[in-house]
Amino acid sequence: MALATAAAAVWPDVASAHGLVGRADLPIPSWLFGWGASIVLIVSFVALATLWPQPRLEQAVERPWFRIPAWVDPICGLIGVALFGVVVYSGLEGTSEAMNNFASNFIFVEFWVGLVILSVLFGDVFRAFNPWLAVGRALRWAAARAGLSSPVRRDYPAWLGRWPAVATIIGFAWLELVYTQKTPQTLAWLCIGYAVVQLLAMAAFGIERWVDNGDGFTVYFNLFSRLSPLIRRDGVLHLRPPLAGVPSMPMVPGSIGLLCAAIGSTTFDGFSNGPVWASLNPDLQSLFKDLGSSTNVAIELAGAVGLLGCVAAVGLFYRLGVRGMQTVGEGYPSTELARRFAHTLVPIAFAYALAHYFSLLIYNGQAVASLVSDPLGDGSNIFGTASAHIDYGVISGKGIWYVQVAALVVGHVSGLILAHDRALSLYKRVRDATRSQYWMLVVMVGFTSLGLWLLSAVRQ
Amino acid sequence: MSQRARLGVIAAAVVVAVVGFVIASSSGDNTKESGLVHIVVRHAKPVGGVREITVKKGHRARFTVTSDVADEIHIHGYDLHKDVIKGGTVSFDFVAKMDGGFVVELESRSKQIASLKVLP
Repeated sequence: MALATAAAAVWPDVASAHGLVGRADLPIPSWLFGWGASIVLIVSFVALATLWPQPRLEQAVERPWFRIPAWVDPICGLIGVALFGVVVYSGLEGTSEAMNNFASNFIFVEFWVGLVILSVLFGDVFRAFNPWLAVGRALRWAAARAGLSSPVRRDYPAWLGRWPAVATIIGFAWLELVYTQKTPQTLAWLCIGYAVVQLLAMAAFGIERWVDNGDGFTVYFNLFSRLSPLIRRDGVLHLRPPLAGVPSMPMVPGSIGLLCAAIGSTTFDGFSNGPVWASLNPDLQSLFKDLGSSTNVAIELAGAVGLLGCVAAVGLFYRLGVRGMQTVGEGYPSTELARRFAHTLVPIAFAYALAHYFSLLIYNGQAVASLVSDPLGDGSNIFGTASAHIDYGVISGKGIWYVQVAALVVGHVSGLILAHDRALSLYKRVRDATRSQYWMLVVMVGFTSLGLWLLSAVRQ
Repeated sequence: MSQRARLGVIAAAVVVAVVGFVIASSSGDNTKESGLVHIVVRHAKPVGGVREITVKKGHRARFTVTSDVADEIHIHGYDLHKDVIKGGTVSFDFVAKMDGGFVVELESRSKQIASLKVLP
């Protein structure tokens, strides 16, 4: 517990920016960097030579497995609402030391990182437990019972697309990685505020229509659930090949922005711990101080610039690859190509998230054992587990390195496979499909090398 | 490309990768154990900035802290604590069994004074 007490206050000082850290990752050493980069190149050329000549994932078949009983939804919703309640209550009433408060740990570890992994393994888990969705549905049910008719709904504006989700994800990343005053109390109020906005928007646009389009977290976790072999359709759980859900990702305004936000925010997490940012950051901060902001505001503005810069750099790099691809074959316009290949970034986004947050989940995820017994950090011991400690020895530093490099390489291969499959279905001639893939290969190798570099350039 | 040729290419790539990994990992870093590091804390701040203490896993980590303020010195992760009185000196000497980056700080002030780096 004493360990936890201290780290809470040192957030801005601790080497690793995800806070809540007792044991920080070591930068991957040069030999592993070199080996990882070589593997990426070897794998890429092998993939070009050996991948299938007919599209396979584009029309993959989903096989029904079993019907989910009707009582599961209300139960999951109830659990989601209960967890939301515990988080908000602990945040408001508990200690302001983040590491001793259930709210901070749950939001930054189990929710933000854990749900990404659960989504990839089991499908769209968050949608099942989404507390505001559950409340919205309960209200609708109650209104119907009371004989109230639901008001006429507005259409969700097409131009809005995924932009609310882009704003949510960048905002959350800024809160986690940059904001200096993220006490459990602030987090609790933000949770309440977010839920209220969601409920109002559901009232305006219709519950499911809003949640699936405008609720940033539902949209974000749904992105990763597309990698999963499990999908729910009309109450029936279906099985499908892994990756097969990605090609059908709807492309609306902001879809590419969302992928860039997901990759860019994780990029900033690594970048902000590296040497380049360490030399840029003081200049940016003094610039904002000269413009009249206080120290904290200057830190937050500089961080915002860095974060948005990373998101923009990711987007720019993708567009460059697409411009290259445009020179090949049947002359598709670059906006069309950008939309057609954007889904290939989904596994890259997952690889980045896993590589950067794996140790946070493995170490700080354990804190949930003590925090459920003492959610407020006031010394209570509800389930008798309050004295449980984080075992930092569960995985060695080398083990973490291998997970990180494996995540990036597997993400890279998955991206290549998706791009290859899409190219085969898009181009009439196999030759054009292959040539277009040289450009996607550059994009993929670029992202994977950037990922490796971010992990190797961590400042201690 | 025939199925067989495909398998051949994949097999060759796997062999290259495995051989490369074995060669690369055996050429690992050659880090020495750090000698005795002495950290001086003045006005509740480490003189010369946050010090880095690097040791290899399984070796002894040794350092002393002399402080002009009374506080508790805490090594995160290892969860080692020692009280230091105003103007006093405490020393740490332990086997670094766990690799990773660990923060050493003045507990009550949450002020980082050193970074312990244990290489695998």
